[in-house]
Amino acid sequence: MSSVESERPIVIGLEVHLQLNTSTKLFCPCSTDYIGRTPNTNICPICLAVPGTLPIINDRAVALGARMGIGLHCAIQNYSNFHRKNYFYPDLPKAYQITQYELPIAVRGYIDIEGEGGLKRIRVHHVHLEEDAGKLVHPTTDGRLTGAAYSLVDYNRGGVPLSEVVSEPDMSSPAEAKEYVSRLRQLARYLDVSDGEMESGSLRVDANISLSNADGSLGTRVEIKNMNSLKSIERALEYEIVRQNKTLGSGGRIVQETRLWDDSEGVTRSMRNKETASDYRYYPEMDLAPIVLTDEEIERFEKNMPELPWEKRDRFSREFGLSKDEVTILTEQKELAAYYESVVNAGAPSGRAANWVRMEVLRVLNETGGSITDFGVSPAALAGLVRKIENKELSSTVGKDILDLMAREGCSLEDAIECSGAAASRLTGDSLRALISSVVEANADVTGIIKSGQDKKGGKMKFLHGLVMKESRGQADPKEVSEVLSKELGL
Amino acid sequence: MKMSVDREITLRMARAAQIRVAPEDVDHMMDSINDILSFCALVGDLDCTGTPDFTWRMKKRPSRRPDREMDWEDRESFKERAPAIEGDFFRVPRISSGV
Repeated sequence: MSSVESERPIVIGLEVHLQLNTSTKLFCPCSTDYIGRTPNTNICPICLAVPGTLPIINDRAVALGARMGIGLHCAIQNYSNFHRKNYFYPDLPKAYQITQYELPIAVRGYIDIEGEGGLKRIRVHHVHLEEDAGKLVHPTTDGRLTGAAYSLVDYNRGGVPLSEVVSEPDMSSPAEAKEYVSRLRQLARYLDVSDGEMESGSLRVDANISLSNADGSLGTRVEIKNMNSLKSIERALEYEIVRQNKTLGSGGRIVQETRLWDDSEGVTRSMRNKETASDYRYYPEMDLAPIVLTDEEIERFEKNMPELPWEKRDRFSREFGLSKDEVTILTEQKELAAYYESVVNAGAPSGRAANWVRMEVLRVLNETGGSITDFGVSPAALAGLVRKIENKELSSTVGKDILDLMAREGCSLEDAIECSGAAASRLTGDSLRALISSVVEANADVTGIIKSGQDKKGGKMKFLHGLVMKESRGQADPKEVSEVLSKELGL
Repeated sequence: MKMSVDREITLRMARAAQIRVAPEDVDHMMDSINDILSFCALVGDLDCTGTPDFTWRMKKRPSRRPDREMDWEDRESFKERAPAIEGDFFRVPRISSGV
């Protein structure tokens, strides 16, 4: 949880922008696939604001905005519309952004997170749709605006659909803010609303933070931008809490402003005085028809909702008898949850399958840098491996080697068992007895303690057991080792 | 209801619109805005009972379109028509510091 202490209560609200999973932009049929594209190739007269063109809203963007709203328990509005938000940056050629303002698509929702004192409900004020801006490049050596005589602009991203989720100021620590964004991202991914990649800019967060006054009233709000990872959200907010406490503690006052997070320096810097709604001169967008959603349409959206993360957690816990920790890890990504479920459906016992997926599969993915969607071991193959371990045909140690072979070399289960030598070299019977005898003989001092009854807590016995397993390179059955070892020591 | 602006609001509007107004022009600008507001009040007083809303254009256009990509053949022409380009980028004046 949070590593900073605050003398004053902390109040945090977040605005989270999600790039919607559409093929085309919000108001024109240009591609949204702009990463790595030559600048200004995904453009058309509409997103370039050529006079005489008119925007028409993307049907899928409306559906995804509504789906996100439903996932957040919001009321979906039958009627919503757009405004023009005027500003002076040339990152949109119209000199205004088309955004929902007074009547957003979804209002009054919530999401539950793991807060510092247990489960906590964070209220969502609304979800609205808007277009993204283009990308400005400043031709200075450090890429910053300072010193630039002019700017360069790439409109490939201009007009890409975003849904903005605006929370109420219900978070009271940086850790809670980070957890809220994690849960929101997980929901967006489950719903296929957005890939939620912060590094590529598909998920962007603006944080509003204030410290309450002694009388309980809200303090002056500061907005922080440019946080590109979950970690940076936490760090930026922690920095700001320290800064604001220090300023207030020395008799200073907090200025309402927008500050930019500098991740390399670990500081926030003043960017500009915070705009108010009147500065943007919101104006109804008369070129766009309002979004009218009938009750039947909203009902259809609700019926088509996939299983939500918390629903899956409950089901996994109920159906598979898994612990809270196991369920949390397995359902973090819906693809991992689907993989686990397929392993169980292919005949693996649910408990052992859960261990193998969350420990070994994730270990291999971590080591190889891969993702579960392109993991080389099919659920059926892993289920086969887990069953062999369950039936004691293979030890867990050898099983791990076999999983590695399957994942890294692309072997079938049978080939991997053959390659590992596990089939031929299973250590049992006389071979195991011989190995145990040699271990007992080589550790006469330890066996003496055990035989004399001084090993009250069984630590020495465990030590010998471990030595045998190590010497057998995991090819012996731990239970059989215990039995033979006890006999060998005359217990 | 007729609204009006005073010098202070006039200057605030000019600042928001990033329009530089010389001190001697403020009164003239204020009068112009008040004339516009008076006209709006006049229009607001009109009895429009029974007059249909001006919606024919909206009704003629689809309100939503399918999420289907369409290629524009002549994208290069946009750059050719731009006031200034540099490489693949549009070149624009240095952004202002905001309002």
